[in-house]
Amino acid sequence: MASCRQWISSATRQCRSGLAQQQPRPFSTSAPVAAFRSIFADNNDSSNAPTTSNARRSRSGPRPSSSSNSNEALYGLLTEGVERGGPLSAEEQRQVMEQQGLGARAYVKDLRATATTDNYLRQMPRRWRTGDVYAPRDMSPAEMRKWRQGRRPTKDIVDMLGFNPLDNYKNFSLISEFMTTMGRIKHSTDTGLRPVNQRKMAKAIRRAVGMGLHPSVHRHPEILRLSRHGLPTASIPTPSDPSQNRL
Amino acid sequence: MAAKSVSPGGALLRASRMFALPNPIPPPPHDGQAGANFHSETATLAFPTHQVITTLCASRKQGDWGLKRPLPLKSTTKSTNPMLRVKAIDTIEQITDYSSATDHGITLRKFQELNMPLTARRPAGGDHKDNTSTMGLPQKSVFEESLDVTDIHPDKRAEAIDNRWKFTGPWLAGMTQGEFNKWLAREVRPKRPEFREYLKKKIASELHAAAAKEALDKGREQPPVMDPSSVTEDQLLDYLRKLRHDNQALYNMVGQFLDLAPLTPPTVSQTGLPTSKVSQLKFTEMKNPYAERGPPVTHPSAGISYLRSSMYMENHPIYGPQKQHSPVVARIVRPRRQAQAMPAKLGVAGFIVDTPLGDTGSNYRSGSGAIFDRIDPNVEGGAKVWVQPKMASVDSSGRVILRVDDASREATLVAQELLGNAVCLGAKPAEDEMNKRESASDIRQKYRAADTPTLSSARDYGLRGI
Repeated sequence: MASCRQWISSATRQCRSGLAQQQPRPFSTSAPVAAFRSIFADNNDSSNAPTTSNARRSRSGPRPSSSSNSNEALYGLLTEGVERGGPLSAEEQRQVMEQQGLGARAYVKDLRATATTDNYLRQMPRRWRTGDVYAPRDMSPAEMRKWRQGRRPTKDIVDMLGFNPLDNYKNFSLISEFMTTMGRIKHSTDTGLRPVNQRKMAKAIRRAVGMGLHPSVHRHPEILRLSRHGLPTASIPTPSDPSQNRL
Repeated sequence: MAAKSVSPGGALLRASRMFALPNPIPPPPHDGQAGANFHSETATLAFPTHQVITTLCASRKQGDWGLKRPLPLKSTTKSTNPMLRVKAIDTIEQITDYSSATDHGITLRKFQELNMPLTARRPAGGDHKDNTSTMGLPQKSVFEESLDVTDIHPDKRAEAIDNRWKFTGPWLAGMTQGEFNKWLAREVRPKRPEFREYLKKKIASELHAAAAKEALDKGREQPPVMDPSSVTEDQLLDYLRKLRHDNQALYNMVGQFLDLAPLTPPTVSQTGLPTSKVSQLKFTEMKNPYAERGPPVTHPSAGISYLRSSMYMENHPIYGPQKQHSPVVARIVRPRRQAQAMPAKLGVAGFIVDTPLGDTGSNYRSGSGAIFDRIDPNVEGGAKVWVQPKMASVDSSGRVILRVDDASREATLVAQELLGNAVCLGAKPAEDEMNKRESASDIRQKYRAADTPTLSSARDYGLRGI
């Protein structure tokens, strides 16, 4: 319990503050719906002015938003902003290097060193934390290989955070965590939930899918958009009513 | 005394290593942190859980480690350092379960070579909770009289709250909501009647103090000590109502009753209440160094160093007293990745350490900072840098947090010379580019090397066709 303290403390504060005051949720579930609506608004009638910022950006973007194919429009919705915020492509990196006055030879050398580093780092999957103790054995390939594969969580996250999954059926980032990419409910061996919480979580997922709030075949489009931009997709689960905190 | 009362065989057993081995302490808990599902069961733990035992050279050759049976020579005599940890002295299969303990043993030895005292965190001052300005100040040792207090009378625990590191109650800020709910239901709710008794005692003592003061003022004789059982339910109810409107007094009462670890008062945003309500709350400042990050699981020194100060000067036999302590070599365990916003991790004396903050070499993009970006397989033994250890402390989960700075160039050179890797004494002073004297042959060489004539001509001045 003691080592959980540091990272948990912030989560606790947020949970507790959420008890006293309904904080604005980071993502509203209505946003993707509005985004879809804006796509079809573009297709059908331009007088129906879309108000979401997503739609406004996709209009000003280079991609013509008046495409007849709605799939293409969805793709544009997902990839927008990548040009601005994402990491530099190889071509852009080369241009930057040229601007800095480095020749082609230095650039190739630099690329080669980066590739070497990446290759070695791929063999060292351990994320070192400050205060870890290491011995020569910890650097060995046999030991490093063990850090590559994830194990099932040993703690019940629902019990730990003390929320009711059924209250969180609208929280698509939470729902997505407990679904596979193919839209199936994860088994309790993967989620690490105890049977009571696994049943509640499964019910919340079925409820979200049944109400049409969450896709049943792949991840939520909002999650896809955020992961494209490299943004965190987690949000804080709604804490349950304090009067029901009975065990 | 105890040895006399037992039989000779029993006394022998008690003096033996078999009985001297303490029970293992619990390992660092596996937290539910993101990414903690990726782990290795066999990796070196952040702190040792078993006693490390050693033996003499002659005994090791015979496999004698003072245990029930001799250990196999093949696996115990190869290591330079005889260090073992015994997981089980005897098992049902009649074997002794042991493994090498050089990882923690050598790490301890390397840490003690750093001569670092362990310090307690200074409470950040005033309203600025994220104030890091106190980090640069000299830190207090954990062995200071004012911080290292464990032998306290149960009635005086509340007064010593600023000086303690050991509490029977939990640190509330370190609990998750679920853990907190569980703790409330399991530990706190059954204690309701006890808390009412505790409050009655407080009321009785307060009433007695008031009566005694009045008697003193009016010159009457002192009233007898009030019995807590004589406090009526109405009085208790009134007292409870009063407490509900005084958040700090209520917290003090509950905190003293449950012996909670101290907390830093929350900021306005942390309370989650409207500002008008927060302004009604009153908080007293916490002077305990563990209020901000939680109390430690062990003694705050964790027993790895008993030094109390690093305020001493190192002396060099030739150069005299040194301004800085000798720097140490740090391994770049993981290079920084700019794309993933991951800083480099250093390894100092077997501990993973963050790179120094601020305007230091590890934060430059190129030049001296380039070494932090790459893994160069041609460098034998991996990339290493010289760093200056500044501060060491043990955090609330029992990890050793070292803070390092860039080593100064002079101190590094002196340290390298002591190792025999650099020549400083008796070396020719490096000539400055500006003040370098040029001989005639140098000048001749310089002009000969040039392809184009350096002497000026009319053509160079742009006068063509002359």
